[in-house]
Amino acid sequence: MLEFRMNVSILTPEREVFQGAVTSVKVPGAKGEFQVLNNHAPIVSALEAGVIHIVTAQGEYRFFDEATGEIKTSTEPGKTLQFSISGGFIEVLNNEIALLVHGMREKID
Amino acid sequence: MSGSLKQVRERIRSVQNTQQITKAMKVVSAAKFRKAQQAIVQMRPYADKLNRMLRNILSNMEGEADTVFGTERPVQKACMVVVTSNRGLCGAFNANVIKGAVRVIQEDLAEVRRNGQLSILCIGKRGYDFFRKRYADCRLIADYIDLFQHLDFDHVEPVAQQLMDDFQQKNYDKVYVAFGHFRNAATQFPMVEQWLPVAKIQASGQGGSAKRADYIFEPDMKGLLDYLIPSILKTTFLRYLLDTHASEHGARMTAMDKATENAEELLRELRINYNKARQEAITKEILEIVGGAAALESS
Repeated sequence: MLEFRMNVSILTPEREVFQGAVTSVKVPGAKGEFQVLNNHAPIVSALEAGVIHIVTAQGEYRFFDEATGEIKTSTEPGKTLQFSISGGFIEVLNNEIALLVHGMREKID
Repeated sequence: MSGSLKQVRERIRSVQNTQQITKAMKVVSAAKFRKAQQAIVQMRPYADKLNRMLRNILSNMEGEADTVFGTERPVQKACMVVVTSNRGLCGAFNANVIKGAVRVIQEDLAEVRRNGQLSILCIGKRGYDFFRKRYADCRLIADYIDLFQHLDFDHVEPVAQQLMDDFQQKNYDKVYVAFGHFRNAATQFPMVEQWLPVAKIQASGQGGSAKRADYIFEPDMKGLLDYLIPSILKTTFLRYLLDTHASEHGARMTAMDKATENAEELLRELRINYNKARQEAITKEILEIVGGAAALESS
């Protein structure tokens, strides 16, 4: 089976909140919500207030745990994480995704 | 003699108490400093990436980017943002920042001040106390004086936004920020930077290094800049605060370390004096006894 994976890092002005392999990223773009899958064309977009959905892939990922204030690692594939943001930017290039966001809250569904 | 002995003993005790306090303050500052430094380090990737995005867009635009925040206007109204700490006991740190601000006011903004169009926005109590007393003719803004208690993007952003709005509405033609620039724990120096209007950002300079990927820009490049530039400005503003915060604790650490050292030196001198006085008292007492005994014998 083909392994679809992209590398995502989510940065806020305070810290890095997520870094790891994912299969899908959905973001609230300035011109509407869109999803980034494997081999997406290079794009830079501004983000509106809304929710980011990411689905983790096989492999380790790091995330910032707001409850304890520590950076934790996990390897659970296929997990959906949601963050609500008040704005930011996304850059996609060669399956490397950088998300710069502010006003972020982790959202538990 | 025993009087002076007691006095010296009391001095020693008081110096010891002071030393204990300075030592404790140093330790506290060291802990806070580490946190403040970490905040700067953790912000860096975000700021770098933001700048890289901007470069990227500019190199694709082939030319200069004009934004509302880059328009130079004749300076009639100006704002000086003075970022100082809330507390003293950190050496000349606050005094230096204030001095830097005052110099710019005297050199570049004297005319604006004479016309009564100078606003001073104080973040941190120290600067506010200074300017309240000496710059009564300027408009002092103290709404954000306690910003250091919530030093994160969510709290800093509204302040930056307010200033940017004021700039756009021509309430200010120029905004300066005076803050403590952070180099490392031992060196901080005051700096005054022009925050608005932003200097022209040139795309060139590294043209070759940026690989031209065919990016999709959403919204278009110009629209994207309207998002990016405010973000960069706000991030810069946050950096001013984080820098000052780290500098403050660095300066306090150094100041308290010096104070502890000085107390140690003072103590050493006092102890010598104390021992001298004690010796003298003992010698005197022995002399008295010996003298008394001799007087008894001879009688």
